[in-house]
Amino acid sequence: MTRFLTLLLLALLLVACQRHDNTLAEQNAVYYWRTSLRLDSAERAFLAQYHINKVYCRYFDVVMGDDDEPVPNATLTFADTLPQGVELVPTVYITEDCMHQPHPGLAEKLVKRIQQMNETNDIPAVRELQIDCDYTARSRQTYYDFLREVNSHLSALHAHLSTTIRLHQLAMPVPPVDYGVLMLYNTGDPNKFEDRNPVLDLRDVEPYVKHLDGYALPLAAAYPVYQWQRTVYGVHLEHTIAADEILRVKQVVEHARPDLSRTIVTYCLDKENIQRYNPETYEEIYRH
Amino acid sequence: MKRFIVISLLTVMSLPLLACAWPGTHNYYLFSPYDSQEFRKRVERISEDNWQAYLGTKEEYFFFDADEVIKVAQQKNDALMVSYVNNLQRYLDCADQKRQEQWDYPTKEQLAQRTATLKAVKAYAQGKLKSRLRSQHALLLMRCNMLLGLHAENVTFWTTTGSLMIESVYRDMMKNIYAGALLKTGSEEAATALFAEQGDWESLMTVYYKRRSYQAIRQEYLRNPNSPVLPFLLKDFVNNAQEAVDGPDVMEGKLFVRKIQRQEAMQMCQLATQVVKEGKTECPTLWQSARAWLEFLFGDRRQAATDILSAAKMEGTDRQKDNTRVLMLYITSAQASPNAAFDSYLADELMWLDAKQKEDGHYHNVMDRLVHQVLADKYAHRPELAVSLLKAANSDEYTTYVDTMEVGRLKQYINYASTSAQNGLDRFLKAHQQVDGDALNDLVGTKYLRLCRWQDALTWLQRVPLKFYNGRGYAVYAANRSYKVEPWLKRQWLKQGLEYSDQKWNLPSNPKMDFAREMLSMEGRLNVLSGQALQQQYYDLAVRYAQAHFTGDCWFLMRDGKSVGDTLRPNETHLGQKACQLLQKASQTADFQLKEKALFALCYGYINPQLWYTEEWNSKKFENDKKPNARSQQYKAWAGLVAFEKQNATRTSRYVSRCDEYRQFLKVYNK
Repeated sequence: MTRFLTLLLLALLLVACQRHDNTLAEQNAVYYWRTSLRLDSAERAFLAQYHINKVYCRYFDVVMGDDDEPVPNATLTFADTLPQGVELVPTVYITEDCMHQPHPGLAEKLVKRIQQMNETNDIPAVRELQIDCDYTARSRQTYYDFLREVNSHLSALHAHLSTTIRLHQLAMPVPPVDYGVLMLYNTGDPNKFEDRNPVLDLRDVEPYVKHLDGYALPLAAAYPVYQWQRTVYGVHLEHTIAADEILRVKQVVEHARPDLSRTIVTYCLDKENIQRYNPETYEEIYRH
Repeated sequence: MKRFIVISLLTVMSLPLLACAWPGTHNYYLFSPYDSQEFRKRVERISEDNWQAYLGTKEEYFFFDADEVIKVAQQKNDALMVSYVNNLQRYLDCADQKRQEQWDYPTKEQLAQRTATLKAVKAYAQGKLKSRLRSQHALLLMRCNMLLGLHAENVTFWTTTGSLMIESVYRDMMKNIYAGALLKTGSEEAATALFAEQGDWESLMTVYYKRRSYQAIRQEYLRNPNSPVLPFLLKDFVNNAQEAVDGPDVMEGKLFVRKIQRQEAMQMCQLATQVVKEGKTECPTLWQSARAWLEFLFGDRRQAATDILSAAKMEGTDRQKDNTRVLMLYITSAQASPNAAFDSYLADELMWLDAKQKEDGHYHNVMDRLVHQVLADKYAHRPELAVSLLKAANSDEYTTYVDTMEVGRLKQYINYASTSAQNGLDRFLKAHQQVDGDALNDLVGTKYLRLCRWQDALTWLQRVPLKFYNGRGYAVYAANRSYKVEPWLKRQWLKQGLEYSDQKWNLPSNPKMDFAREMLSMEGRLNVLSGQALQQQYYDLAVRYAQAHFTGDCWFLMRDGKSVGDTLRPNETHLGQKACQLLQKASQTADFQLKEKALFALCYGYINPQLWYTEEWNSKKFENDKKPNARSQQYKAWAGLVAFEKQNATRTSRYVSRCDEYRQFLKVYNK
């Protein structure tokens, strides 16, 4: 009996250890979030210098239309191609209100549109799709159902599905996707940007760190390198995140969940962002 | 009772509400040396006028319809116009497809088809460049090039052909496309100069979005002291400075911005001084007025007054001179003491501003800011002028102002509006006071009702004809509700559909006068009643006060509209509190039924200033926790009722035992 219990305990331990068995490859990636795909020489050099082999490229947004049905918005135009060997992952940002109620057929329309965009613009067959949505307790169930439907359409194409995970979403059940990208940015309340940097502040991350180890989904980590810009009644406001703060957060989250160092993404690829930090900082961010 | 509360909170009645529920800031930008929307507005207006002239129509709202134009062109045997509009529509369809976001992303074939269509339309247009409609066809050709991405070709076309055509709206549009082509082909400086010349604010903002600062303006000035981009950049800078000063309470972050802007603003003042001194600019009034307005915003009002006076004597475009005049009016008004000389100056300037409002919405905003942020306070000691100014400015706050002002002051205003003018300012203001006598008489009477001065109320209300009340939005409530009903026992919800029906109401009598008369009579009898009858009278009066309170079903006795966000307003008696005081007296009775009703009524949430609990959000349960507040008046009232019912356990009335709020309180209270 004792032997049986020991074996059972061992088995349970094994299962527990595998609860977020990370199958993600060790790789570097970036988000591309403009409305026209066109890379300049600095951006191309950046991809090469930091061995970036995956670009999560925003294809279009999905927003609520005038007739209360989701519609695509700000579609990407293809003026360029990615360097050889760099995988392009179509990424779609869906506003949260689109998930306040189910929209039958939305998943199919979305997948078909991405397929058509690829075909029209000679993009090789899609291997992965990422959906970005700031889902909340209210929209989570609808969003997860939507993801399942997307997945069913993708399976015929042998493509994977991933989604972004915001810190507050760590407290919810995991979404039905192959993996998530943990967004370590936009962590603050934009209305309280006097007290905290709304882009990233370790104090805003800390309360969620406890959820990381038990979060049963493979996770990549995405760090901000952008400048927060906002115009309030014509007044231009800016916030840049200190390199030290990014690296401190990286240290904290990787300590809580070491596999977050496997796939690392920065948001987002842009000449100005490249110039914002020195190469040492980027090397540290992309350190596995 | 809980159900009633929930329903009530969810119900926002669509009645005329006071504007104070959503107060505006009146922080309109004052510095406007050119019209931001000039290019688009002008082009749209002229194009529409041209189409309407061709069609022989004059609609206020016109939408281009190719079929309609073709039909008219065919009637006129105008084959060229038919072919032009057909091809224009083909181009517009392509542009629409490109712009329109839809789920069906175009296939390669569709894209090729679109390109082929654009090329065909272009070829067609190319062949008509010497026709009667050559300008329209040249524009069509450039539009096709734009969608085809042939920007360099557009640069050449404009230089060799488009620029040689006669002045027209089509040529202006071609020039705008040319400016865009210059930008796309790397000639940014030339492109922005053209955008600025055309007043194309949207395009300029796209280019300069990240380059709007003192340094950018300085560099542009050093490059070309008369750069057409400078008025745009200066306007943007000064308005950002104004925004930083205006609204620290609205957005916390503006404090952060102001620190930067103050320093930059002072640098800009120095630059403006230098520019005027150097004499290279053709529009010194633009720079000097910017300097004066920045000085004013950042606290140096005396210097601002000196500088704006000198700006008024300087050269600039008509719009820039008008802009200086606006700023001088504002700065002078903020500094001056009201006296005959200032009143006279103000009258002239208000008349000028009033005329300018007909030309451009900007001047309406100027009037709004001037009246709300300077003049209303300046004339606070003469309320009749303060109200008149609000009325003259078409202010949303006029209604709130007269509704909440002290009754004596309102009577002063009524007197002012109805007497002849004594000076220029009077003449301007009185010409703008088209007041509704019935509405004002009703308002004075209602103000007396709010003060519980029933006899005074009757004096004013009797001047108002019954048809006035039949036409009010609240007539449906007045016709279907009674102030004699005990609100804690029965809410008077209107039958579904009644509120929004078109039914006309014929009230049998003036409901406010009925109420005033009844209150006068009932309160008069308090002195002659005693014992049980007196306590019953207290209770009955409490019912009426509770009903007339702004949370009561008969709120229309005291107000024109109702919202869940209503609170007690200035110069208004708290009728709910009066009801509570009367109920306290009634509850002293020895009569079981009256005592129980009075004690129960004292628990009524809508007449208590604080509820018996406070709510705190429980993020784990995703709901509010109720935290008892034992110090609140309502908690004490519930505790009193519980004690009473315990003493009379067998006699508790059903309206008490079945009340869900009572049961909830018991649960907490007995813990």
